[in-house]
Amino acid sequence: MPSQPAHVATAWPLTFQPLAFPALYARAGFSGFPSPAQDYEQRTLDLNTRLIKNPTQTFYLTAIGDSMEGWGIFHDDLLVVDRSIQPRLGHILVALFDGEVLIKRYALYQGTPHLCSAHPLYPPLPLSGTECQLWGVVRAVIHEYVS
Amino acid sequence: MGRGARGDSRVRVVIGLVDANNFYVSCERVFQPELEGQPVGVMSNNDGCIIARSEELKAMEIPMGVPAFKLEGLRRAQRIHLKSSNYELYGDMSGRLCQLLRDACPAVAPYSIDEMFVYLDGLTPAQCQAVGEALRRRIRRHLGLPVCVGLAPTHTLAKLANHAAKKRARYEGVCLLDAASKETAALLKELPVGEVWGIGRRLAERLAVQRIHTAWDLRECDHHDLRRRFSVVLARTALELRGTPCLSMNAVDEPRQRIMTSRSFGRPTGDKADVYSALSRHAQRSAEKLREQRSLTRAVMVFLATNRHRQDQPQYFPHAMIPLAAPSDDTRVVLAAVREGLEQVYRPDHRFMKAGVMLLDLVDAEQYQLSLLHQPPRHRHHPALMATLDDINRRMGQNKVRFGVEPEEASWHLRCGHRSDRFTTRWGELMKAGTHPGAIQACAERKKPLP
Repeated sequence: MPSQPAHVATAWPLTFQPLAFPALYARAGFSGFPSPAQDYEQRTLDLNTRLIKNPTQTFYLTAIGDSMEGWGIFHDDLLVVDRSIQPRLGHILVALFDGEVLIKRYALYQGTPHLCSAHPLYPPLPLSGTECQLWGVVRAVIHEYVS
Repeated sequence: MGRGARGDSRVRVVIGLVDANNFYVSCERVFQPELEGQPVGVMSNNDGCIIARSEELKAMEIPMGVPAFKLEGLRRAQRIHLKSSNYELYGDMSGRLCQLLRDACPAVAPYSIDEMFVYLDGLTPAQCQAVGEALRRRIRRHLGLPVCVGLAPTHTLAKLANHAAKKRARYEGVCLLDAASKETAALLKELPVGEVWGIGRRLAERLAVQRIHTAWDLRECDHHDLRRRFSVVLARTALELRGTPCLSMNAVDEPRQRIMTSRSFGRPTGDKADVYSALSRHAQRSAEKLREQRSLTRAVMVFLATNRHRQDQPQYFPHAMIPLAAPSDDTRVVLAAVREGLEQVYRPDHRFMKAGVMLLDLVDAEQYQLSLLHQPPRHRHHPALMATLDDINRRMGQNKVRFGVEPEEASWHLRCGHRSDRFTTRWGELMKAGTHPGAIQACAERKKPLP
């Protein structure tokens, strides 16, 4: 079986790349006293490992519109969408509905699965009998207060 | 398990070829679902000609390679969609495809941007079939890409199995071929020899003289005879068709013997500074490729071309070959050679359409020893400098750090008027999802300036 040649390595997704800032190698200055924290050195927390469980299958999208504010998704928020998650009731989905890309909550309405928004103006969309296709499951939403 | 089965259970590797269907078009569709079911074409660099077609476009009998301007009418009438090539997007999706396969299979060898070989061992045929089907389903669901999978004991047969999986609906995208089966024989008898992996048009013509017309004819040839009359490569292909593995991916991935970077200008230019800045970028990219494959170059060729189709303008297709004093992979050495080459061939009063740099006569950097006869290189610390340069450019994006700054509006910058957003590599160009029907459209209209 041929080994994988090193020089054909394809581009790694951005999330595989090491963090731009280095691990903390704490030293108490140059005076020679070793830092008491030296034995506890750890890599600093990486938000990627918290929000992105499957980097290969994770895509970022931008939310447009105000009708999901009730569930904490605001206009222009960043959506972390994982396409490898099996959708369950209660998940927030990105779905193709009537040729549009929509974010909706997958939930029961009058006993049957619907795509629901959090706004009285937009009634739940029934799943049965419509052309609805799953695109991915929203794992996290990032709302930036200071840009 | 009976004795017969045991006798058959020597370690047999099954080679799978995972090949994305109309890869560039499929990448576009993942992020622009409105293109689903529509005739879509992707154009080459500079929007020159069609290099990828959706099934719908193929059904309209629009051939591969047709110049894009001939389709301008159809595009204006909105009967077809044409996209500029979006290599950032395709490259990222290809990387994801490769990583997904690596997570699922013991060994993977990428062969091109949209074809990857996977190696399965210790599985029964039924299990291989199941793995193929699972991979196909998973790639479709997790990445949104349609692929076909061909499985067989050799690379050449896997390629053939993939072809069958694509063309014949009854395989449903996954085709497992056994070298000795009647099914394989029937496929080989139908396949023109020119469509076998590695057999070009010229070779096919030579084979036709010997009455070798189909893949089956080739398979039935004596391979010693083929080796004598043609080449060892063809003999291996015949053996591979019989199910004897002869090719390893290492052979396929042999470092290239020459490296070429060339591109058409967005618009023709006669300006020397313009031509040099294009050549300079090509030289830097070539040197980067050279270091990637750990080679040194012994010669640099510079070439220019005017527009062949404008017979009313003066024509000029010069090239200059600059041999290097010692083999090198230093960008600065290549750049100096390019400057020298340009001085030799540049003539004013010509409008150039294309410029390119070729590095040739390559040697392996590790094998090349500085002999005492050679002068020591002029720049003593160049490996560290070049490695740093490559590292920065890998991390921060191509061309972040470069030699000499090119003018922003240089005429050779790519023409890509119809490129879709780079959904996976640029924060400002992400795919949009509306919170309710019409949200995206309403937002776009709000942003429009008032008439």
